[in-house]
Amino acid sequence: MKIGVCIKRVPDTETRIKIGADGKSIDESGVKFVLNPFDEYAVEEALKLKEQAGGEVVVVCLGTEASQETIRTALAMGADSGVLLKASAVPLDPLVVARALAAELEQGAFDMILFGKLAIDDYGQAVGTMVAELLGLPSVSAITRLEVTDNTATAQREVEGALEVVEFSLPAVVTAEKGLNEPRYPALRGIMLAKKKPLEIKEVDLDQGGMEVVELTLPPERKAGRIVGEGPDAVPALVDALRNEAKVV
Amino acid sequence: MCSRLYRDSRKRSRKQKTVSMASRDLLIPANFQVALPRDQLILEDPLDAERIDVDVLFVGAGPAGLAGAVRLAQLVKQDNETGTGLGDITIGVLEKAGALGEHTLSGAVLNPKPFRELFPTLEDSGFPFRTRVEKEAIYLLSRSRSRRLPTPPTMRNHGHFVASLCEVVRWLGERAEEAGVDIFAGFPAGALRVDGDRVVGVRTVASGLERDGSRGSSYMPPTDIAAKVTALAEGSRGMLSQAYLEWQGIGSANPQIYALGVKELWETKRPLDKVIHTMGWPLPKDAFGGSFMYPLEPNLVAIGLVVGLDYHEADLDVHELCQVMKLHPLFRPFLEDGEMVEWGAKTIPEGGYYSLPLRRYGDGVVLLGDSAGFVDVPSLKGIHYAMQSGIFAAHAIFAALKHDDSSATRLAVYDELVNDSYVIRELYRTRNMRLAFKNGFYSGTVQAGLMTLTGGRFPARRIGMGLDSEAPRKPPQRPVFAPDGELTYSKVDAVFKSGNVTRDTIPSHLIAGEKVNADVARFYAHMCPAAVYEEVDGALRMNPPNCVDCKATDVLGPRWTPREGGAGPAYKRM
Repeated sequence: MKIGVCIKRVPDTETRIKIGADGKSIDESGVKFVLNPFDEYAVEEALKLKEQAGGEVVVVCLGTEASQETIRTALAMGADSGVLLKASAVPLDPLVVARALAAELEQGAFDMILFGKLAIDDYGQAVGTMVAELLGLPSVSAITRLEVTDNTATAQREVEGALEVVEFSLPAVVTAEKGLNEPRYPALRGIMLAKKKPLEIKEVDLDQGGMEVVELTLPPERKAGRIVGEGPDAVPALVDALRNEAKVV
Repeated sequence: MCSRLYRDSRKRSRKQKTVSMASRDLLIPANFQVALPRDQLILEDPLDAERIDVDVLFVGAGPAGLAGAVRLAQLVKQDNETGTGLGDITIGVLEKAGALGEHTLSGAVLNPKPFRELFPTLEDSGFPFRTRVEKEAIYLLSRSRSRRLPTPPTMRNHGHFVASLCEVVRWLGERAEEAGVDIFAGFPAGALRVDGDRVVGVRTVASGLERDGSRGSSYMPPTDIAAKVTALAEGSRGMLSQAYLEWQGIGSANPQIYALGVKELWETKRPLDKVIHTMGWPLPKDAFGGSFMYPLEPNLVAIGLVVGLDYHEADLDVHELCQVMKLHPLFRPFLEDGEMVEWGAKTIPEGGYYSLPLRRYGDGVVLLGDSAGFVDVPSLKGIHYAMQSGIFAAHAIFAALKHDDSSATRLAVYDELVNDSYVIRELYRTRNMRLAFKNGFYSGTVQAGLMTLTGGRFPARRIGMGLDSEAPRKPPQRPVFAPDGELTYSKVDAVFKSGNVTRDTIPSHLIAGEKVNADVARFYAHMCPAAVYEEVDGALRMNPPNCVDCKATDVLGPRWTPREGGAGPAYKRM
């Protein structure tokens, strides 16, 4: 089974974001970059599929030179090879990204292509599904369970108040939701092996597409909390505050 | 407000002194400490069959370990270009932080000398420094005043650079990886693997353990790494280094002594154009230390306070003193309306020449940088010594590899190179300066002045020092400190600013003695800058996930042991 996983390099979730001087990008000084957490689920699921059915796992990343490190992380987890589609910047327009990835994946004869359901930097949640569309493949998004037998697969999705079970044929594209699995940490041996695994770098020339960042702003600061009282006597005051001030009940 | 609290307490403490001294004994930290857990740190059983083999392993990706790894890779490459080279040599670097630099903290004003030696083709502008020191000033502080002093010759920083050691380490890591070095961040060395007297590698620490020691869902077993030479570059108060020295009975003329530094990074509204050092307030007269304020950028300022851990008051609290210090008219105008963006703490080995281990090598092992104690207190510098020791170690290790012999006899070359270098020459010249301050600030200043005038020949003898943990402490007197949340911060807020997101369910890595009483618990609570210790109902309560690995606890309190990779702070620009 040949499995493709598309990954992205994003700022660490613990980063306290600062807006850059241009007001349109984040200030990257001192920012740690990591493999997008949702993509970790995708990599883990691909490795499980490989362990179960054999085959190979190829990670594909569209990003700058620095994304090599992100690919190495996936290789250290256990993926077999990596492809960096090297661009000077990652465009915000998901269609531009999806086209570049689809052009690469099209040649690969993959049985299964996995994405994280979204990247935590732009929360776009679009690229995986767009790639499926461009490749003319079935697409199941935000899955929390996946089973593959021969050329068909069953996935589970969490929808409002219920579970949706989807059956589809391979090849297909799925995007991973939190809860699909627990991603493994790269072991020492894995990290050593990763340095020797093939990582192909292909230059891509991208236009910016139809989207432009006009401005970035931080969310408004959270107001300090307030203790309305203690014990059962405080319940009416709390309910009142939640209903009339916070307007959440 | 806070400074007034302190003033009041001082008056009270003076009045009560005789009473309290009579009614309560002096506290000697050593009486409440457990011994170094050597059985845990040195393992004599055979290496695991699943082990990883490297040729040379550096333990710790700080300036010493990375400079050593880079130089060794350079030597191997040059050698291979001759045609009769060693061939493929695997150089590994283990680092306990989740990513390079996250456990690295220094002032720092840096002497660029070893950078030029390591990277002769680069200009100074190619190094990861922030600003060149153009102006500097040193002040003696009283509570509300500052008096400018002439800069002592040892503290002149002309030609030096202000830098963030985090950034320096990340940059060195990139150079090392380019040179083919394997860096493993997030893998602490938990124990030395030995065979007879020979060090044959290390064992990493397991991760994913639950608080009760059971295996969680993300459990990863420890890994043995075998190496022909293990270079211990663990930094200040390295556990494997301590265990090795104790195990091999390698002493020093004086025991190593330490200082604790608390540092903050501020984005300021008012620019700073010079490097500032202070002495005096807010330290008691019988404590050794001082403060620094350095501009990384005009409006990005590092500020910190360093205090010798041989202080004499059980409730001396370096974090709190650092907070109060920021309210002084010298500092306050710079910080007001600014934002504290990072906080951190670290110990510094301060013993100098007489505290250096009598040998810094053995069969299959060398000790580098802060682990060996290469720090010059009078000039407040150690980073360039750390790197230089790494470079010398690389040359000795390379020669050992060429002879296929990593015995102590071969690795003794390392000590010879260090002993013949400016590192030891300078440390010898200032050998008694820090030690002169053991009896207080004024006699120390006078003696240090004489030492400078005589080029270190006064006094003609070594000033003896005891362990920090054996220095007696007057019982706690100070009132509770109340931070304002704008210029001054609680320890809990500070730990948040260190980037520490250690999981709450991690097993405790701290070993406290059994006799700890309420007074000792309060002493620990003040000693620890990261709110790991509290006194609750007369007993000690520990919050190990708060620990930022400064190691002060290991010097004066509960023992520190290596814990799972990535735990602890996540410094960015410290």
